[in-house]
Parts: sequence; structure tokens; C-alpha cells
Amino acid sequence: MSIFLVQILTGLAYGMLLFMIAAGLSIIFGLLNVINLAHGALFLIGGYVTLSLVNNYLNFWLSLLVAIVVMALLSVIIERFLLDKMYGQEFEQVLLTFGLMFFLADVAKWIWGTSPQSIPVPDYLASSFSVGVVSFPVYRVFVVLVGCLVAVVMWYLETKTRIGAVIRAGVDDREMLGALGINFKVAFTGVFAFGAALAGLAGGLGGPILGLYTGMEGDILILSLVVVVIGGLGTWKGSFVGAILVGMADTFGQMWFPSFSMAIIFIIMGLVLLIKPSGLFGKGVGA
Amino acid sequence: MNRWIWPVVIIGIIVLLPLVLTTYGMQLATEIFIMSIFVLSLGFIIGYVGLVSLGHAAFFGIGAYTVALLANVTTNTYVLILAAIILAGILAFLTGWLFVRTSGAYFLMITLAFNQVVYTVFFKWKDVTGGADGMTVRAQLDLGFGPVQSQLALYYIMAFSMLLCYFLLRRYIAAPLGKATLGVKENEDRMKALGYPIRSYKLIAYTVAGAMAGFAGSLYAFFNRFVSPEVASWFFSGEALVMSIIGGVGTLFGPPIGAGLFVILQNYISTFTARWPMVMGAIFIVFVLYSRGGIAHLLKRLWNRLFTKEEKLAEPAKVAEESKTEGGQA
Repeated sequence: MSIFLVQILTGLAYGMLLFMIAAGLSIIFGLLNVINLAHGALFLIGGYVTLSLVNNYLNFWLSLLVAIVVMALLSVIIERFLLDKMYGQEFEQVLLTFGLMFFLADVAKWIWGTSPQSIPVPDYLASSFSVGVVSFPVYRVFVVLVGCLVAVVMWYLETKTRIGAVIRAGVDDREMLGALGINFKVAFTGVFAFGAALAGLAGGLGGPILGLYTGMEGDILILSLVVVVIGGLGTWKGSFVGAILVGMADTFGQMWFPSFSMAIIFIIMGLVLLIKPSGLFGKGVGA
Repeated sequence: MNRWIWPVVIIGIIVLLPLVLTTYGMQLATEIFIMSIFVLSLGFIIGYVGLVSLGHAAFFGIGAYTVALLANVTTNTYVLILAAIILAGILAFLTGWLFVRTSGAYFLMITLAFNQVVYTVFFKWKDVTGGADGMTVRAQLDLGFGPVQSQLALYYIMAFSMLLCYFLLRRYIAAPLGKATLGVKENEDRMKALGYPIRSYKLIAYTVAGAMAGFAGSLYAFFNRFVSPEVASWFFSGEALVMSIIGGVGTLFGPPIGAGLFVILQNYISTFTARWPMVMGAIFIVFVLYSRGGIAHLLKRLWNRLFTKEEKLAEPAKVAEESKTEGGQA
């Protein structure tokens, strides 16, 4: 029973990491109509930047913050100088992010090497606390809390602020937004940077749990795509539910059927597709 | 008369090429023919059906592993290759039935996820597939005249297979079936309104492409005599996508050009730097930014500028229009 509870926490923490990645992917798609295939590479580089700073005796929190800022800046460059040249041609934009994934992942391999690494966390997060006979690792609880905080922030931004209103309007009707005199290109850049910053945050936070290794960008990308397919594209709420589902399924799948946990996730995805092709919270097919 | 020039020239080059190639060059050319079949099948569903798959290596892997695994039971080349084609085709049909309900970004993501599942099965099922270590292929290519030993024979067999696949796809596209499929790609709603079963057209094309990728995989197993899970990895799918885009989608001669350029560059650049993925990513980005339609369209334009004066004006407009319709896909 105690193992069961700890596994639930593990699954939740994993799910929250997936949520942070997939939510960025999903809102970028919602506004820009582009699947950012370089998102897994952004996650990986975010993790590596955090690792390098922590290894050079920088505070864990400060390292995380720097990683987030670096990823946001990098994504602004990507959006301004590459994606911007191809507006209106979403297929070409997806291909651009695909080429970027190869490029960025190889740059990461070049700088940080191929051996798997892990980010050390501050002592007070590395301990565990016990409730009755069960002992929970503090760090995973912390990740779950951060994930929930991100969800609350996104909810607030979306529904209570002017920025959120502009983005919601942009998702519904981009031309109308332009006609109203709002510079939606700034919104594009902002949303792209926000998504990348989330990926960087997830990379820094996930490093201590998942580790960082060559080829991780693909694993992360695929899992977050599955989350997005299950939850529905363009909605972060769908990503939240989908991520918890996938996190749980993967954690318990690894416990009960170690060889076929990926197959279980895939079966869930197939079922969702059969019943509702646009995902649990999605609007229209392929929209 | 004019329409026979190109086929004759191409076949002539392929037949005469062994005269000038080194042993290494022959090896490379044979590999390019196999890759060409694979990339042809992918370029076909991208360019003529509008299904951008990022999981095509799943079928290549299934073809390769079918040969490797069944070789323990029989070594008959025809049976092995046929089994690979049928198995890959059946799997493409079953998964395609589910996948073609979606389009654009969803299709891309789902095929990628499916690819990862197939990879994981080959990777984790150690008792049968040997896991990450891969497995040697016990069967040898034998068309009924004894095992094929010489490199020259292997070269010609693969070249013939590629030309056969090219020819089959050409017939497919020219047939009413192919024309309707292209119609679905260009304007799905209109075809639906006209009463065409659009999903069936997509599914048939997807199944054919899957079976053809399985065929390429089976040839690869005979060529390489060794298979590992890498042949079914999403990275390989991605490489195939890069090859078809560089070569040019929307044509059938683009994919083989893309495959050839890719394999040659990969081998050449890998000899002096380990940063091949970086170089490949950069080349790919440059192609997407500056050359819509890939090398095939560049060649077409060059050809028209040099030799046909009348089409000089018509061509850029056509290319612009094509890239516009491609843009609406994702």
C-alpha cells in the first residue's frame, strides 16, 4: 500500500513535468498553428543550462531562473529570424522546427557530451518526510506544487488579463485581431517565448528526477505529443488532464508491465482517438 | 519520342555506373537504391495524399525484422520478401484506419508515437529480437539461381527494385485512383461533396506506402545482413522526411535525388566531423527557407530556363501556387 501511495506521487510529479512541456506546445499551436518539434530540444538545453550553473556553485533557484530566461531569449531569436519568414505556411514552419531539433540537440551533445547526467538539488529538497509509515520524497511534492502553480498562473493569465484576452481572440480569429489594430506578431513572439520558457523550467526541474541524456529530446517530445493528442491541441487544460493521465499510466505501467508501458500509453491514445479524434478538450479535428 | 529520352538516359546511367564506381561507391549506390524506395513511399503520401508522416520507419523496421525473424523458419527469398510486404501492409492498413481520421499536425504526432511503440517492441523484446544488440540475418538473397554473392548482382537487383517501385507509383498516380487521391489532397471538402469516400482513398495510399516501406526494409535486411532497432527509430523516420523534402515532394524523381544526396553527404561529412546531425539540420533549414519544392523543382526550373523558352513564364507561377497549397497542409 505504501508503495502504491509513493507511486501515485511519482506519477503526479512526472505528470506535472509533462504538463509544463505539453502546455507550452499546446498554446503555441493554439495561436501560431505550429507544432514546435524543437520543444524537446528546448527542454533538454534548459536542463543542461541549469546543470552547468549549479555545477559552478550557483544557487539552484537562480540557475533555474537563468535557464528560463535563456530559453525565452533563444526562442525569441528562433521566432523572429526563422519562423517569422514563413508566416502563413504552417507546414514549412513545422519543418523548420524539425530541422532545429536536429541542430539544437546536436549542439547540446557537442557542449555537454553524451554521458547521462543529473542535476543536484539543495539539501532541504533532497530529503523526504514521512506520513505514518510512508515516506515521500520532498522534491517530488515540490514539483507537483510548481506544476499546480503554473496551471493557476496560466488560468489567471488566460481569463483575467488583457494579454490572455488578446491571445484567446487570436486563437479564434487572427485577421479580426489585426483589423482591430492589435499587433499580433508581438503576441506570437510572446507566446512562443512563454512556451519555451516553460520547457526550460521543466528541463531544470525535471533534471534531478529524469536525468539528462543524449536522445532525451525525442523521448520528451514524443511523450508530450501523446499528452497533447489525448488532451486536445490548443488548450492547456487538456494538457493538464492528459499529462496526469500519461504520467500515471507510465509510472504504474513501468511497475506492473515494465516492457510494455509505452504500449499502454499508446493504447490510451488510440482509445481517445477512436472516441473523440480531437482529444478530450479539443475543438475540431485537426483544427 | 521525347518522353522516352529521360527513362533511357536514367536507366543507361544506372546500368553503366558500375564501370566507374569503386567498391565503396558500389556499396553506397546500392544503399541509395534501397533508401530511394523507402523515401519514394514516404514522398508519395506526403506529395500526393497530403499525409505528412513522421513514423514511416516503423514499416521499414517491420519489413527488416520480418526477414530477420522468419529467416529462422525459411530461407526462401521470395517468401521472406512477400511476408515482409504483406505484414507491413496489413499493419499500415490497421493503423491507417485509425490514423487517417486525423490530418495535419495530429497525423504527424500520431504516426510519430506509433513509430516509437514499434521501436520499443524491437528494443525491449530481447528474447526474440536481441534487443539493442540487434540480430544477424541468416537468409541470403537468392532468386532461384543460387545465393547472390557478387556486389554487381546486388547492385543491379536493388536498382531494378527501385525502378519497379518508381514505375508502380507512376502508374498509381496516373490511374483514376491516383487522380482522385490527388483531388482529396488538393480539396478535401469538394471531393467529399462530390461523393468520394475520401478516407478510403487516403487509407489505400497509406497502405501501399506502408507495404512499399516494408519492401525496402526487407531488401535492407538482405543487403546489410544485420538489423538493429535503429532501423525502426523515429530518428530514421525523420531522416527519411528530410530526404524527401530536400529531394522535392510532389514529384516522383525528387525522393531518389534526396536520398542520394543525403547518403553521399552523410558519408562524406561523417569522415571528418561527428557533427553530422548539426550540418544536416542546418542544410534542411536552408532548404525549407530558400528552396520550396526541393532539388526536383530547382532542376525543373533550371531545365526550363535553359531549354524551353515558352514555359519560362508559366513555371514560376505554377511553383508559387504549389507551395501555397503545400503551405495549407500543416
